[in-house]
Amino acid sequence: MKKQLFVGVSVLYSFAFLAQTNTVINGADYFGDVKARHIGPALMSGRVSDIENHPTNSNIVYIGAAGGGVWKSNDGGVKFNPIFDKYCQSIGVVSIDPSDPDNTVWVGTGEVWTRNSVSIGDGIYKTIDGGKNWTKMGLEKSDRISSIQIDPKNPNTIYVGVLGELWGDNQERGVFKTTDGGKTWNKIFYINERTGCSELIIDPSNPSVLYASFWEFRRSAYSFSSGGLNSALYKSADGGLTWNKIHTGFPTGKLGRIAVSIAPSNPSIVYAVVECEKAEEKGLYRSNDGGATWKFLNGDFGLTVRPFYFSRITIDPKNPDIIVKAGLFGSISRDGGSTFKSLGAMHSDIHDISFDPSNSDKVFVATDGGLYRSLNGGTTMERIENLPLSQFYHVSVDNQEPYNVYGGLQDNNSWYGPSASPGGIEARDWELVGQGDGFRVYPHPTKPHIVYSEMQGAEAIWRFDTKEKQLRVVKPYAVSGDPKLRFNWNTPITTSPHNPDRLFAGSQFVHVSNDMGNTWTKISPDLSTNDKLKQNQVESGGLSADNSGAENHCTIFTIAESPLSEKVIWAGTDDGNIQVTKDGGKSWANVTSNLKGLPLNTWCYHIEASVFNEAIAYAVFTGYTNGDYLPYVYKTTDFGQTWMSIITKDIPVFARSIQEDLKNPNLLFLGTELGLFITLDGGASWSKFENNFPSVAIHCMEMHPKKNDLVVATHGRGIIILDDISPLRAVTPEILTKTLHFFDSKPFVMSEKSSFGGTSSEVEFVGQNPSDAAQIKYFLSKRHTFGKMTMEILDSEGKLIATCQAGKQKGINTVEWYFNRQAPKVAKGKTLAFAAGFAPNVKAGKYTVKITKGAEVFTKEIVVLYDPASTFTLNERIEQQTVTNDLFDMTQDLAYFVFVIDRWDDCVANYKLKNPGKNKVADDLDKALDALRDKLVVTKGDNYVGAGEPQLREKLGQIYSTIGSYYGAPTSSQLENITMLKNSFAEAKAQFEKMKATNLKAFEKELTKKSINLPIIVPFEEFLKLE
Amino acid sequence: MRKTLLFIVLTGLSLVSNAQNADEIVAKYYETVGGNKWEAVTGILLTANVDGGGMKIPLEIVKMSDGRGYLKINIQGQEIFQNAFDGVTSWSTNFMTQKAEKSTADDTENTKRSSKEFPDALVSYKKLGYKLSLEGEDKIDGTACWKLKLEKNTQLVEGEEVPNIEYYYIDKDSNVPIMMESEINSGDMKGKIGQTKFSDYQEVSGLIYPFSISQGIKDGPSQPITFEKVVISPTVDAKTFSFPEN
Repeated sequence: MKKQLFVGVSVLYSFAFLAQTNTVINGADYFGDVKARHIGPALMSGRVSDIENHPTNSNIVYIGAAGGGVWKSNDGGVKFNPIFDKYCQSIGVVSIDPSDPDNTVWVGTGEVWTRNSVSIGDGIYKTIDGGKNWTKMGLEKSDRISSIQIDPKNPNTIYVGVLGELWGDNQERGVFKTTDGGKTWNKIFYINERTGCSELIIDPSNPSVLYASFWEFRRSAYSFSSGGLNSALYKSADGGLTWNKIHTGFPTGKLGRIAVSIAPSNPSIVYAVVECEKAEEKGLYRSNDGGATWKFLNGDFGLTVRPFYFSRITIDPKNPDIIVKAGLFGSISRDGGSTFKSLGAMHSDIHDISFDPSNSDKVFVATDGGLYRSLNGGTTMERIENLPLSQFYHVSVDNQEPYNVYGGLQDNNSWYGPSASPGGIEARDWELVGQGDGFRVYPHPTKPHIVYSEMQGAEAIWRFDTKEKQLRVVKPYAVSGDPKLRFNWNTPITTSPHNPDRLFAGSQFVHVSNDMGNTWTKISPDLSTNDKLKQNQVESGGLSADNSGAENHCTIFTIAESPLSEKVIWAGTDDGNIQVTKDGGKSWANVTSNLKGLPLNTWCYHIEASVFNEAIAYAVFTGYTNGDYLPYVYKTTDFGQTWMSIITKDIPVFARSIQEDLKNPNLLFLGTELGLFITLDGGASWSKFENNFPSVAIHCMEMHPKKNDLVVATHGRGIIILDDISPLRAVTPEILTKTLHFFDSKPFVMSEKSSFGGTSSEVEFVGQNPSDAAQIKYFLSKRHTFGKMTMEILDSEGKLIATCQAGKQKGINTVEWYFNRQAPKVAKGKTLAFAAGFAPNVKAGKYTVKITKGAEVFTKEIVVLYDPASTFTLNERIEQQTVTNDLFDMTQDLAYFVFVIDRWDDCVANYKLKNPGKNKVADDLDKALDALRDKLVVTKGDNYVGAGEPQLREKLGQIYSTIGSYYGAPTSSQLENITMLKNSFAEAKAQFEKMKATNLKAFEKELTKKSINLPIIVPFEEFLKLE
Repeated sequence: MRKTLLFIVLTGLSLVSNAQNADEIVAKYYETVGGNKWEAVTGILLTANVDGGGMKIPLEIVKMSDGRGYLKINIQGQEIFQNAFDGVTSWSTNFMTQKAEKSTADDTENTKRSSKEFPDALVSYKKLGYKLSLEGEDKIDGTACWKLKLEKNTQLVEGEEVPNIEYYYIDKDSNVPIMMESEINSGDMKGKIGQTKFSDYQEVSGLIYPFSISQGIKDGPSQPITFEKVVISPTVDAKTFSFPEN
């Protein structure tokens, strides 16, 4: 009986526990003011895959980025705005409908420059309002779309070239056609599941004529193959009903990727760049008869280099002999392809080139380093400075104030830059700390001037002393008895939370150094599968050898030392192993087989060792290199003996990284190929985070331990930060039902930093700064739409200090208060005395936030601190505050004094209006009042260079704001100036007192004599309330 | 039988829900905020204090049903007008010289074209021949909304006629707009999406009016304004709207 009872209680407890942990919180409704902050940078930008010019309006230019979405310029390419943030950010092609170019634009997702780090697409999209709204129009499984050709005479007829999957077989590739504007699609030309349409061209003069190049290709995690017997160039003359191979004059045997383009000014002329078996036959071919016959013209390096990455040829819209070819540097021919020279100096790796249709001198070029523009036909290139398309592989942070962000980028080196900077985070704020393709970059944990970085395949791992500018390669080398060390393209290196001089690096072994990389020890056996069949990278590339190191395999990809125990180290490999040691590397356990549901050899992309328990870890696996786009994310609580999947149907695509919150174990962040997902309930449910966060591929995340910021490395939109995610920790089922719930906050520190701002021009990207205001955060269970809602700041005595505009949205609201009191009331004048309207900061102390929502009142105490790093003493502050308050009062006294003078002056004016003609008493008073006012405020001139001579109001305002906006004691010179102004004010008051006994008194008598009322002059306190 | 009945009821509810169209949504909104009482309204006067970093900046906004209007800032004795319009001339005060300057021909023409939108463009869309359509549903501020597209008459931008489209997000529960957005067509922010949010709807003279609006750039900063006073059918000196001959 007892046993039964125990079982019953246990079951109940078990259910209760499940109910508790499985409480689903739909975060998307509550994220509210938790918003993404983009810091770029754009100084190196990132890979642009496609350019599309408006056919008749030179101001309109679209670009598609490899991982950064679609951007539109309305000013001829000076500035761009992102217009596709909600959707897949990997873009294959952008095409404007020629019959409705202002409004209708199609986007094919999935980049077609198929390098190892390329992302994926999810179909074709259409806008009918120039990019404000988009609709997905199908082809969801196309993976990558190379071309969209719209019949210029019938916009409902559209042909789409689908390259298809890179990493596996698929049948949704070839040429697709719609005749109903994209409602339905027919696959009108298909070769096989390995061969896709890499280019589709339409004859603008005869839309029934199409050219389609087909490419047989395949990438795996360890090799790449370009070419085969199925690669070919085809032509259709009947709108895609029939297709004929057009190879007369082409090389025979296996072909690779074929670029093809038709001369807009003479459609009989067609150019093709052919990848083939024989080196001497690779290159440019020209046809003058619409592809019937071809003639080989040129096999220059610029034409034949890396066809999988560079395969776009563009012809001048007006001259069929001017052609440009994408390539390592980009080439231009002005003699019909006989000879080429490089385009002007710019970032290497050119993917697309376009001519402005109305002006061939204006050329746009898409590179690995962003978009360039030339105004002289490609001779001189200028980079567009406002495209933060940077493709980070990794991110780390330091503990400086403000903290720095470190990371490496695809073909764009390694960098660090500040998370905040005066005037915004500018290009000049970023420091270069590595060359080549950059990946993992770490600051030394205790020596902030030491930075570790690396380049592809660990060709170098650097230790850079940024202070002394000393650069040393500190990679682990093979030593006697070692096999060849296999380093991944994106080699794992990491520092240690336990030993600041420790550095880990991963080949197939885990290497550790405890002296900053000078000496290394292998602390593991080969942790990979060591499958020899996957180690033949020298053969990689297919028809064009391509052994760059990008396919290095059977390597360690992620290393995680437990923050709780230096003995516990995790390692994950690109060929699917996850291994753990609990004794600092003496012995390793391969726990891969404990992962249920994980396909064999699925890349272990990231392991997150928990901060809560050394037995807890999260592992993220990506199967995309095997053609598997499902997400695999697991949690273990027993060192990998058992694993639980924490993936739900909410996650639509594979993930690469996970970040555990540092305080709330139920709060997790998941970086997927299509954006950021957050769970508030330990993985029972996930919500996509879309508050200014695009659907971009996320490669890595880091949580800043002091700021509670989530720092995200995106592969296409730079670094994106979610500042202070602490409210997400506090969103619990309990608060969801409360009308209003204040979140607890740390004391707010009043920043004392001053600056003159930034130096960027208007066309440069500047990263957003975090707020340095007090951020008052609260939760609303429902949006406030009806009734009054106000927010006030009260001091410890309940006196009103400031008012703020309350946030009204459902979920988390953040209201910023810049620590200011209300400004003084300022005397009226002819001009504006801006300085006099300065609102001084409050003193440090306790304040109450009071929100009145309808009849309900909610309060929360907050604490405001002086900057602990400040050099000012409390006595200096008291002196500054005393003087500031004195000047504040003086400003209001002056305002009232002028008000009184104005009332009398109005009275005199009225009197004179009603009693025209000379009246000495009134005239004398009028003159005396004017003369007095002239000394108090500016009474003539304007607010610019026609301003009158500053008077007491202006002088007082200047000294008041100068002292009020500083945090230390006033200077003796300033105090002397105040004495002078006080004397001036006192003299003016004395003068007025004298008038009261003379002119004013006489005028009062005059009024009394004529039974005219004296002016009504409200007391000072009432004056302050007047508008 | 019960099951069938339940099915019919649910289907019926579903049809009711689907039957919502743009016209009905706007009609409900109009009724919610006062309906035909608006027909007698000759204008609206709004006053507010905008926070300029602790400095109170008093605003007065007037919009008359005949299209006249202005925004007036009264600070340190200076009256600064912005976007004033007397039915013919659109003008603003230059901050530097404090003198009135006429708006560009484009701005004046655009002001004229939108001057009959009273009390707002949504309510008056039929009368003005604007095209309204229901684009679907969306969530704004965590609130389920109808998304309406309002295609107004074109506007002039640098001499060119360009589309003038606004999107309104109507709270499905309360029937009032909580956000409007439109593309910025000129200036430094060209191409970005401007957003205006509405809240604090309150009763005034038998009508319901949003006492708080917040204007900004999508995913960027915004400037909230809470009106302290809303006067229905105010008396305003006609001279106030007119371009002052300096």
